Amino acid sequence: MSRDLERLLDLLDAADEDTAGTSIRLPTNLRDAAVVAVKLGWASSTTELTVHGLRYALEAYAQRAVLDAHYQAHPQVRPDLAEVALATAKIDGSALAGRPDLVRRAAAEVDTVTDHPTPDDVLIYAAGLAAAVA
Amino acid sequence: MSQVKTVLLDNEAVQALADPGHRKHRQVIAVVEALAARNLRRVGSARLVVPTAVRVEAGWNRRSPKGAVLNRLRVGDEPLDGDAANRAAGVRAALAVSVADAHLAATLAATTKPHAILTSDPDDLRRIAKHLGVELAIVTI
Repeated sequence: MSRDLERLLDLLDAADEDTAGTSIRLPTNLRDAAVVAVKLGWASSTTELTVHGLRYALEAYAQRAVLDAHYQAHPQVRPDLAEVALATAKIDGSALAGRPDLVRRAAAEVDTVTDHPTPDDVLIYAAGLAAAVA
Repeated sequence: MSQVKTVLLDNEAVQALADPGHRKHRQVIAVVEALAARNLRRVGSARLVVPTAVRVEAGWNRRSPKGAVLNRLRVGDEPLDGDAANRAAGVRAALAVSVADAHLAATLAATTKPHAILTSDPDDLRRIAKHLGVELAIVTI
């Protein structure tokens, strides 16, 4: 794992105690939407919305990077697309969790209709296969 | 069916995730991959959490180098605070489950639904879900 990624993870894990003023250029429509969201009670401030959005984005990129680093060290544990799609079906409580044959077939075929398919793309394709054979 | 928002880990799921040599590691990593894929497309859409009582049972000390893999995979703690302890005590009294399982039950009330749980003991989790009247995707590892 790179030193920069370690540093980023340490910063994400640290308590949000110190704050710093910063100047961020936001699209005006987004800024105004945030103001309305606060009025609607969805957040306590536009700062809170900005901080949450930034944290969630950084957490997502960091998780991806940590997984990639994990596979560099342990390539044998990397699940393939069918395994991840099946795991997705299971945690969603989808009926496709009981059709691993269809999920595997979908994972093998889905890249003929879309580039860089996600596990959800596989499940949509598998649902189509299930509907076709029903 | 709707997309899961919170995935909980039980003791064995934690053990499996912590150790790349564990026979169920790849199965649990596949779930982390599933959440990572969702979160990259829509940030903040799903969380992976472990109740702290489960962490105790699994011997996962975040300050220990042995927990490094788990710490880095963005598995969040769900603390056993006063409210959670009250809920957990109620479930333990009703079902005679372990403290860790009772905290899992309390976590279902404290986190965003829909939920899934990775467990090696689906029977107790089915009893808990039935007792609480909650929908829970139970994934047996």
